[in-house]
Amino acid sequence: MPGRIQCIQENLLGLSWHDSAWVPMLNSSNVLEYFSERTNPFYDRTCNNEIIKMQRLNPDQLCNMTGLEYILLHVQEPILYVIRKQDRQSSNQTIPIADYYIIAGVIYQAPDLISVINSRLLTSVFHLQSAFDDLFNMMQYQPSKGYSWDIKSQMSTTGIIKKDLKEEPSSNFQRQRVDMLLMELTRRFPLPVMKHTASESKYSVSYNFRNIVSVENPLEIQSSRSETTPPIKTEKIDEIVSIKEERSDQIITSPSMKPPPEKKSRLN
Amino acid sequence: MENKLNRYEKIAFLGEGQFATVYKARNKDTDEMVAVKKIKIGSIQEARDGINRTALREIKLLQELKHQNIIGLLDVFGYASNISLVFDFMDTDLEVIIKDTRIVFTSGHIKAYTLMTLLGLEYLHDNWILHRDLKPNNLLVNKQGILKIADFGLAKTFGSPNRIYTHQVVTRWYRSPELLFGARKYGTGVDMWAVGCIIAELLLRVPFLPGESDLDQLTRIFQALGSPTEETWPGLTSLQDYIQFKPFPGTPLKMIFTAAPDDLLDLLSVLLCLNPCKRPNCKTTLKMPYFSNRPPPSKGSQLPLPSNLLDPEISQQCVSTRRLFHANFLGNKRGKMIVLNC
Repeated sequence: MPGRIQCIQENLLGLSWHDSAWVPMLNSSNVLEYFSERTNPFYDRTCNNEIIKMQRLNPDQLCNMTGLEYILLHVQEPILYVIRKQDRQSSNQTIPIADYYIIAGVIYQAPDLISVINSRLLTSVFHLQSAFDDLFNMMQYQPSKGYSWDIKSQMSTTGIIKKDLKEEPSSNFQRQRVDMLLMELTRRFPLPVMKHTASESKYSVSYNFRNIVSVENPLEIQSSRSETTPPIKTEKIDEIVSIKEERSDQIITSPSMKPPPEKKSRLN
Repeated sequence: MENKLNRYEKIAFLGEGQFATVYKARNKDTDEMVAVKKIKIGSIQEARDGINRTALREIKLLQELKHQNIIGLLDVFGYASNISLVFDFMDTDLEVIIKDTRIVFTSGHIKAYTLMTLLGLEYLHDNWILHRDLKPNNLLVNKQGILKIADFGLAKTFGSPNRIYTHQVVTRWYRSPELLFGARKYGTGVDMWAVGCIIAELLLRVPFLPGESDLDQLTRIFQALGSPTEETWPGLTSLQDYIQFKPFPGTPLKMIFTAAPDDLLDLLSVLLCLNPCKRPNCKTTLKMPYFSNRPPPSKGSQLPLPSNLLDPEISQQCVSTRRLFHANFLGNKRGKMIVLNC
């Protein structure tokens, strides 16, 4: 049984369904009927709703039955409806099984927390793995020199540079949106004033953050930065640059050529 | 004879019909409830024959039958020129339960009724008896939730290869297409078709194919299931009353019985097969996955009872008007034909 449920969830979470004939006339009184369309993959036709409908009985009798049923949980006219699938134990006790949301007539299954965490974890691990794979290819060992990085030749052979160029730039909307979100975040969670005892990890976090933001709006950041960060920043960038200059002076000559971190993460 | 008559104490009048009067009675020896069906003296012609034909059939067949899901004939006694049959007392019938809209049938209920009907019918067919009048109000149910097949007024032994049977049997709504086309040689398929119609009625809570005439009945059958051809049903066109219908494509059962699980749709599709040769017998049917799949059939105590049986006060008021044995024992006129060549 657990295996079967998981299989169904995997299938359904990647699905959406709609019937364009219905979409213009959807409202809170017919949305359950829309949901019970035969072709809707989210609808289990052996549910109590369908049994009542087939037996031509009063829908109020749903509460007296036990087992699988669908209810309209939330309405936000005219665009959003939330339908819940639940297991009725008694007339006043139910156990939710899944929620479905209908936005502009398109039905999706709301993912459960474990699926979200699983998916995010898997994505993170995948990207980490890819980064390690890439790095591994750039590593060289020569008995005379020992270990060294061969970034230049690998970059040109694997076409990473080309990919960078092909990447679509973020839209104006996205940039504005990210700016807005970041400003909101910095307003709500102001950066702590760095004391001389601050740990290195905190610096690195603030550095990363700064680097992300600086792509979007450098001026804004410069003004809001605490005074302790710049030395750290330059130091770190110097480190990176020194590594890169060592191996690939033609390609990366200055920090400004570096692609923005957020884009890089999406690329992978 | 005298002491048999006194053994039963009349408790309530249950109903009266063309052929008989039915009373609820108590067996003073054992203290159990019984139904006493007192056969009326019929027409002069019938009186000359000696005994009412349907009563004779019931006595003849039921005396030899004993099964959990077949109505038990407990006793027969005569008094003066009357003859009385004593049956198990049954509280209600499936038609009353189907019509009670306060009841919701779960899959388990439907499976339990189907299973009990088929088990009873399997026993009948094993004993070479065709019931020939299966319908919800001939399926009696008691408070323990046990279903018993009743009314053997049209039942008949089968199996002789050359015997000619009448096709004027079975209440029209439950009559199979071969009977409607006038087939004179038929078998267990006519009962299987009726079971299919009864399951459909349990699912829909209204008769599945309520034809208003024999022709309308065929039209409804073909509209729902598609019209047969000589390919799908060899021998069809040589049936006595065969008429060509305009071809109907039929409706998928899935669209009619929207909430029915697939295993039940499989069962329905074979029971409601137009070609009687393709309809399975009870044994094959009972082996279908539907009966072994989840959910299990409901236990007798979990089966629903009509609301007039749940509340004792209402029950008292309704006892005289209750349909109970009405239709079963008293010769329901709704489309039933009396067999003439028995």
